[in-house]
Amino acid sequence: MILINEARSGKGRFMEKVNVQKIIDIVGENNVKSDPGELLVYGADSSVHEAPAWIVVRPENARQVQAIVKYANAGKIPVVTRGSGSGMSGQAVPVKGGIVLDMKRMNRILEINLPDVYCRVEAGVVDDDLNRALKPYGMFYPVAPASSRVATIGGEIANNASGVRSVKYGAVRDSVLGMKVVMANGDLVDLGCLTRVEASGYQLDRLMVGSEGTLGIIVEATLKFQPLPKFRCMGVANFDKLEQAGDAIAEIMESGCQPSLLELMDNVAITAVNKTMDMGLPDVEAILMFEADGMVKEAVDFEIEKMKAVCEKHEGSGIELSYDAKERTRLFAGRKKLFPALSMYKELLACTSLADDMAVPYSKMAETARKIHDIAKKNHVIMTAYGHCGSGCMHTKILMEPNRQDQWEDARNAVAELYEYVNSVGGTTSAEHGIGLSKAPAFKIEKAASLPYMHAIKKALDPNNILNPGKLQDAPDDWVKATRLRYQVN
Amino acid sequence: MPMEFNRMKKWQDKLHVCIRCGYCFEFCHIFKVTGWESDTPRGKLIMLHGMMNGYLNPSEETAEKIFECYMCKRCDAACSAKVKVTELFTDAKADFVDAGFKALGTVSRTDPDKCSRCRICILACKHEARVYDAEKDEIVVDRVKCQSCGTCVAACPSGAAYSREGYGLSQKELRESVKQFLEGVSS
Ligand SMILES: Cc1cc2nc3c(=O)[nH]c(=O)nc-3n(C[C@H](O)[C@H](O)[C@H](O)COP(=O)(O)OP(=O)(O)OC[C@H]3O[C@@H](n4cnc5c(N)ncnc54)[C@H](O)[C@@H]3O)c2cc1C
Ligand code: SF4
Ligand code: SF4
Repeated sequence: MILINEARSGKGRFMEKVNVQKIIDIVGENNVKSDPGELLVYGADSSVHEAPAWIVVRPENARQVQAIVKYANAGKIPVVTRGSGSGMSGQAVPVKGGIVLDMKRMNRILEINLPDVYCRVEAGVVDDDLNRALKPYGMFYPVAPASSRVATIGGEIANNASGVRSVKYGAVRDSVLGMKVVMANGDLVDLGCLTRVEASGYQLDRLMVGSEGTLGIIVEATLKFQPLPKFRCMGVANFDKLEQAGDAIAEIMESGCQPSLLELMDNVAITAVNKTMDMGLPDVEAILMFEADGMVKEAVDFEIEKMKAVCEKHEGSGIELSYDAKERTRLFAGRKKLFPALSMYKELLACTSLADDMAVPYSKMAETARKIHDIAKKNHVIMTAYGHCGSGCMHTKILMEPNRQDQWEDARNAVAELYEYVNSVGGTTSAEHGIGLSKAPAFKIEKAASLPYMHAIKKALDPNNILNPGKLQDAPDDWVKATRLRYQVN
Repeated sequence: MPMEFNRMKKWQDKLHVCIRCGYCFEFCHIFKVTGWESDTPRGKLIMLHGMMNGYLNPSEETAEKIFECYMCKRCDAACSAKVKVTELFTDAKADFVDAGFKALGTVSRTDPDKCSRCRICILACKHEARVYDAEKDEIVVDRVKCQSCGTCVAACPSGAAYSREGYGLSQKELRESVKQFLEGVSS
């Protein structure tokens, strides 16, 4: 029996056919969903975008992924790989419909190799689960995005995720040794190696990092891990002026300190956290959180004291330091839950993931923070400035009334103005959350010179344009109209 | 089936508070067992949002998902956007019932053939979800009030009260899933 599933995009513009029976033959009936409710759920992520999938498929192993991709490639059916859908820019939203490939069932930790200091995991393993498995060996996988409880390793690699510890341990890029990837023609290829160094040839594993599912489907990853530090000390300092905090960040980095975490929260962020979590943080313009870690307490003391001194020099006050794990968690709880908390900032205002993760040079941190607020004011929206400032990453969110059409015009303008500024100071559009749909216009301006080469690479590796089509360099120029917005706009 | 959102409409302007972060995933044991995103609180909120905004037709399938919830409220506690997830689900369930949907989800049931009509379950239920319908001579469960806690199942001396299994909680299913997992690892 051949079942033909006909699914429509939200606007009913196109109708596409997927041979459901063929897919059931590959993954089994229990791993296929095509109910409209399911298609909607798998057509959304943490961004402002939404577009229903045609069918949701859950492979169990690389062979099944290969078979699905071969089938899709033959029929030129889009394949959108999905981890947990925690991406903030619409990367996993099937803007052109197609098969959504849910990787969460491929969640086995295959090997933890202590002598060679690497682990092998399937792509659907959740970051925190990997860390839970490494902990008994005194090791950790250090990328630590705020979303580590939900983000999958495949999703992290595809976005080159980074996080609070990236200032010391780098982004995903720096932890990946190799991977197994299913290419658009269904081939399974082994990329990278088990060693720390690899000199020659096109480093295709690196090419996959940050490719947002457009060049291949990562089914397995080899990652290096780090020894868990014996000592961690966190400090918090309050600043009456945002600029003082910005200057402190630049000086901490310039002075050769090695923070293992350096985070900023501005007043909008502080207010949101106080409101939702009764944290009682001081009502100042900025709070800096800094941390040092290591195996020797004296070395950690040395680093933390140096950072504390810099904060004091820039009039940081109410400085608290703690080695205690519980205390550190308390000090950091607000930052960890900030994004959700922003959603509660004011009734009717939604917290939208827009212009959310630019990076600028350290010396521009303070200016960027101020610029964010100026642009917000001018465009009648509220924006925050916070983020992993130690790695140059400044986060913001746009708080707006999502039901009002004119607010989307405001948001569009604010985003464009902010990225124009970021570009002018040598910053980058996305430090960690990826481009997807909503950041594509700015990305295309920033990368104008290399766009033709990106197009050439995409064409060479995916000639039928089946892998997550319509994203990154191929995304529409107006993000507001790229898909149906996830809000009811009147 | 046409559906009015008499109770749900008060959430219309509040559904966007869920920022779709997915932080609730790991707290929901239904998702932990099935692995489908449509079983997560976020997934269910996306479906409700779609229904209220007119791009998802209410269906028995969607209703079934909404009725599949143990009301453990772990998601309520975990969600730092403080979305009142289970309160929303309760209102949605009532609207589904009013519209005539038959979905049961995890709601407790009673096998009339095994039931001795002793009515112990009515006394045991803390949520006043069970009543005896004299006309039908049957125990009737209020699908909105039932929290799927299973107290009635434990209290019923005749093995008549039951709730749906299939979340991998039975020993047999657990053994099966461990076996599958180990085979997968060694293959
Ligand atoms: C509250 C919150 C906080 C966040 N904080 C951070 C943070 O601190 N740092 C950070 O970097 N990010 C952060 N993110 C963003 C997000 O969690 C990351 O981008 C994460 O890496 C996405 O993982 P995922 O499994 O959810 O991927 P998805 O959202 O499912 O997918 C994202 C992209 O990756 C592709 N992809 C997924 N799996 C594969 C695979 N196996 N092979 C090929 N392509 C694949 C998809 O096609 C898509 O393009 C945050 C998100 C939220 C909601
Ligand atoms: S219900 Fe809460 S925790 Fe779950 S996705 Fe929505 S905001 Fe996040
Ligand atoms: S209350 Fe329902 S949806 Fe929430 S975690 Fe429990 S079972 Fe899952």
